[in-house]
Amino acid sequence: MRRYVEDLNFQGEEYVSEWTPWSPQDIRRKKGVLEAARLMLNSALTAPFAGGVPSTEAHLVYGQEELEALARKMEELAHTNSAWKKAFLYEAVMVRDSDVILLIGNTRCHETPLDAGCGMCGGTMDCGYFYEKKNHKYGLVDITDRSSPRMIDGPLCSARVNDMGYAVGSALWTARTLMVDARPFASVGIAGHKLGYCPKSGMVVGIPVAAKAKNPYVDVNVDYHLINMDKVLDNTRKIYQTARIIRGFDYRKWVPKPVNTDKEED
Amino acid sequence: MGHLIGKEYCLDHLVEVAKSIVLAIHKAPQITGKTEIQAEILWGDDLEPIIEVLGPVAKVARYVQWDYETIKRCHEKGESPVIINLGAKVSTSNLGWNCGACGFDTCREFNRYSKNDSGGGGQLGGPCCNWKLLDYAIACDWACASAWHYNVDNRIMGSLGFALMALGYLPEADVRLGLALGPPRDMVYYSREEMHKTLDYEQDKMDMIRCVPTMFTGFPGGGNPMYKTKQDWWAPPEYMGVGYSDAAMEVMQEVLYEQVPEIVVKHADAVAARYTKSN
Repeated sequence: MRRYVEDLNFQGEEYVSEWTPWSPQDIRRKKGVLEAARLMLNSALTAPFAGGVPSTEAHLVYGQEELEALARKMEELAHTNSAWKKAFLYEAVMVRDSDVILLIGNTRCHETPLDAGCGMCGGTMDCGYFYEKKNHKYGLVDITDRSSPRMIDGPLCSARVNDMGYAVGSALWTARTLMVDARPFASVGIAGHKLGYCPKSGMVVGIPVAAKAKNPYVDVNVDYHLINMDKVLDNTRKIYQTARIIRGFDYRKWVPKPVNTDKEED
Repeated sequence: MGHLIGKEYCLDHLVEVAKSIVLAIHKAPQITGKTEIQAEILWGDDLEPIIEVLGPVAKVARYVQWDYETIKRCHEKGESPVIINLGAKVSTSNLGWNCGACGFDTCREFNRYSKNDSGGGGQLGGPCCNWKLLDYAIACDWACASAWHYNVDNRIMGSLGFALMALGYLPEADVRLGLALGPPRDMVYYSREEMHKTLDYEQDKMDMIRCVPTMFTGFPGGGNPMYKTKQDWWAPPEYMGVGYSDAAMEVMQEVLYEQVPEIVVKHADAVAARYTKSN
């Protein structure tokens, strides 16, 4: 058996700051959030489940390109439905402002229901509502046709969906315990699912996670997709640069001074 | 100054802990932000109608039997659990997302079905907008997580949800679950010391044969395998049969449509009156 080799090289220093974005100090910060998200994922796996049956899969997504792809998918979906348009556009901004995205899916809600006749899916005293709308043979659901025009290929076993809620809840509880900001979103889940995350699931919820001075998921302004920190910074670059262009002096020879100033400027 | 002795103060404090847990329930994050979560607390003799309703159901469902026996035995020996009733109204979608998760193309079609055509709620309620159900489940999970942090043994129970629905608790809700809390000791609802010696070895083994038959299946190449249900399982051989059971259905019908309603009738008015008073 290989013996544990103790690493006693315990020294170093790490500079951490959220500014500037994607700098080494910011990436170190993000790595801390990734650790938190990993623990959130573990919590999701230990949530209560009907019958104790494992049915959760998850993806952790991080990195500038990965988050941008997710945000763009959300924006694409936003324009397919006026009822969720604004929310999806706003939440795409939040994804770009996040450090890590945790996607949690349920692998059984569309294929292997609880089969307990609980009635939650359709309000009936048996599982008929689910099975009558599914392509199945003697209760074995055939999911090979994935061409549904719907965003989610329902109906789903609501008992399994309920289990997924438990998983999401436990992840969020751990986020709260670890003092990282997190919020559950349908938009992130649907977009992530469309991109191929949580591929075995019938339904997915997305939880962006961040550890920044300002919680990215609350206190948003109107037209958040048009007015947000990224846009404000870009706007500053646009306006301030031009404002400099229309100045006219060589600072080595002369600098304008306020009028009525008694003492000389330094 | 003070001196608390015995177990009574612990049991009393469970109610206070339950109130704190209800705060966590209402603080739980939501996906839609549009789901109203309802929570109530029951304890002491107020558990008796619930225990009574679960009694006949316990005869036809083992998991209900376990919940029923545990709660009943704890209550009878003066260690009554505290139960948080959790409910929400999720059978109507006010989202307009038309996501299809419910099985309909649009929320409007789902709402029409829910209003006119559904069975009016199965064992646990329904039908459900699955996004709103997720909000509800997150709140239920926060109740469990909160109880966990208070180090109170707990279990979220569909059996209690059925009893709550039958008796008319949480009348505004269309899904219901119950969170059983305490009594203050370890492993009340897991491994279940209360249930020791309830099943003998043979009953336990027969449960496994019925529930996990592949573990007991002989060579399947003949198409009708023998089942290894005893030490000398080959002599004489035993085979599994599948078929409609008049006996099982009769018992189920009797329980759900005769025995449970009889009990409900005794208590329903008193339960309903509580909600009338509070209005």
